[in-house]
Amino acid sequence: MELKYGFISADDHVQEHPEVWTQRMSKAKWGDRIPRVERQSDGSERWVVDGKPVDLGGVAIAGAAMPDRAREPQRWEEVPAVAFKPGERLTAMDVDGVDYSVLYPSVAGRAGETFASLADADLEVACVQAYNDWLIDEWASVSPRFIPQCIIPLAPEAAAKEIRRAVAKGHRGVVMPSVPMMLREVPHINEPVYDAIWAACQELDVPLCFHAGATREIQFPPYAGFSPEVAATMEAITRPVSSVLVVANFLYSRILERFPKLKVVFAETSLAWCAYELELADHQFERQRLHTEGYDILPSALFKRQCHMVGWYDTTGLKTREHTGVKNLLWSTNFPQATSTWPESRQAIARCFDGVPENERRQVLVDNAARIYNLK
Amino acid sequence: MKIKYGLISCDSHAQLHKDTWTSRMSKAKFGDKIPQLRETTDKEHMIRASDKPVERWFVHGKVVGERGTVNCPTVMGDPLRKTFPQRWEEVPALVYDPAERLKALDSDGVDGEVLFPNDPVQSGTFFQGDAEFELACVQAYNDGLAEWREFSDRYIPLAIIPYLSGIEAAAEETRRAVKKGHRGILMVAEPSMVRKGLKHFNDPWWDPLWATCQDLGVPIHWHAGAGIALRVPRWKGFTPNQGQAMGPAGGFANQAQFVPNLIFSGVLDRYPKLRWVCAETGIGWVSYMLESCDHEWERRHLWTQGFVTRPSELFKRQISMNFWYERAGIELRHSIGMDNIMWESDFPHSTSTFPESRQFVERCLKGVPEAERNQLCYGNALRTYGLN
Repeated sequence: MELKYGFISADDHVQEHPEVWTQRMSKAKWGDRIPRVERQSDGSERWVVDGKPVDLGGVAIAGAAMPDRAREPQRWEEVPAVAFKPGERLTAMDVDGVDYSVLYPSVAGRAGETFASLADADLEVACVQAYNDWLIDEWASVSPRFIPQCIIPLAPEAAAKEIRRAVAKGHRGVVMPSVPMMLREVPHINEPVYDAIWAACQELDVPLCFHAGATREIQFPPYAGFSPEVAATMEAITRPVSSVLVVANFLYSRILERFPKLKVVFAETSLAWCAYELELADHQFERQRLHTEGYDILPSALFKRQCHMVGWYDTTGLKTREHTGVKNLLWSTNFPQATSTWPESRQAIARCFDGVPENERRQVLVDNAARIYNLK
Repeated sequence: MKIKYGLISCDSHAQLHKDTWTSRMSKAKFGDKIPQLRETTDKEHMIRASDKPVERWFVHGKVVGERGTVNCPTVMGDPLRKTFPQRWEEVPALVYDPAERLKALDSDGVDGEVLFPNDPVQSGTFFQGDAEFELACVQAYNDGLAEWREFSDRYIPLAIIPYLSGIEAAAEETRRAVKKGHRGILMVAEPSMVRKGLKHFNDPWWDPLWATCQDLGVPIHWHAGAGIALRVPRWKGFTPNQGQAMGPAGGFANQAQFVPNLIFSGVLDRYPKLRWVCAETGIGWVSYMLESCDHEWERRHLWTQGFVTRPSELFKRQISMNFWYERAGIELRHSIGMDNIMWESDFPHSTSTFPESRQFVERCLKGVPEAERNQLCYGNALRTYGLN
């Protein structure tokens, strides 16, 4: 690990370019079902997967690098190169003082959910593998400063197989939509049928990453009367905190008890509600007397043993770090989403970490991510 | 009101007597549809199946509440809090008898309590029948609860409103209830998500109700999820207590998404003196909401969209939140707003601090100066409900 700036951004997004899937999937086999960019009747362009448009607010998610942050690019020619060209991205990282960047998808879903809703499991696997291959071929091979994470198909055995394949190719984390049972007819995430996935992550020592936004169904829908800009604002506010529901379930799910060495990251959560969530989980554990129901560890202790959340602008998370554990906090720039602190992440960090001792600051900005992603 | 213990619960649940609706609603007009307790042996009506007949609430002929007759596991003498009364005679009088209940308040060191509904009222609504049925049920509830305030000024009742008879009927019932002693109203947060055909919260159709509450100086309340049901499907492997353990997380997750909608709805700008209260949501997450609203407002230059006032300033001006067990939220009290925080016990529900409210308050407020402590424990409540 080489540090020039002292910051590993634990949650950024690659923008897939229009040939990611068309170059890698068999035209003969999949035809027009291959993910691709399509021109709309109004002249704008959209991603289409298996005949259905992908809702990105445009043809890419790149608000932070757009002239007007509230407006996503509507045609591919408007997409800034920093979003999809790894060389340009390295420059954007230098501008913002970022040493390493942990990569999540965009078209494949902020939380890796796009292909999970496909009814055809073979098409799902083909799309997933093309993404995973592309991220190694075109990003990870360019610079060790990119930390690639694979996406997975929902079927547990196929997922475990893909995780092993992807990690062997160089992926360092696993992005999984947190609510598979809300994406298509599959078992609840708490069912032991998913153990193959948890076991693979634990055995390979790669973090399992649940990014916010896996389904709009747990986000309060923006009022139809809002302008697109205000609707996008509401979406950005509701997305991180919708993870409360995911974390609450996870802490009681018994998955962490069955897999005590599994490392979990809840990304784009912000840190500001973390302390409250843990206090609430413990209070409810006590009020509902769950120690009599086979749980031998408090939810907050489980969290501290295995879970992490990711902040990027809130000051609260650092103030409440004694409740959440310093080693459980990660930081990011969230580039290139409109909510990103780029290109002023240094100022955001100075503001949010004001008064935090140097060793704790380094833990959150560098050491925790280095530990989770095994950066030596 | 008189302060003896220095504690007002801003979220407790009044169980009205079982005859509240049958004694007030026209038998000729509504017959068996009137909300009432009935014996049943149908195991579909029981979360824990039993061979003994149980009593359940029926509203418009539909069963409401499969856990038990009344939601009051805190006072059932079960240290594991798994017991709900299955028949009316098992319900402790301190839950529904205003005289007995004052003794419970004294034993817990609580001066007064803001009263939200209990069974069979669901999220403050009676949507089981038509508009006429709804209005009659709502009025019977409001009349029944108003009697508690006549009994003692330690009770601070909240009215519920009709939704199906037009906006003027909702405003009129609010005026009628406040005249009878109610000190606020309880609503679902986003009506069009709860009942098809109702207008969205942001629609100016609701303005007459907002205007009425502002004029009367009574706050509008949302309780827990307030009818918004954004949730991760419950795993069938959870026991009832494990399922209940996750309940309040849904409350704050939903309000943390809905209150930003209130902030960006324009309602606070149009009614700058109207007060909003979120009950049973805790306060530790409020910093998230304030920081995320301010952050996105700055990043996206939302003043260009007509939002001139900083979101966190709107919050501080008009919105209050309740706490009951937490530490981190109290440490953050100055950034949330000292005027915006009130205490609650949630008596007699399972998450309640009863009968150890004093110990909970001591733990939460350790190290908080006395003046601030008084403000959070009762001062803000006195001001919010006009009780000075």
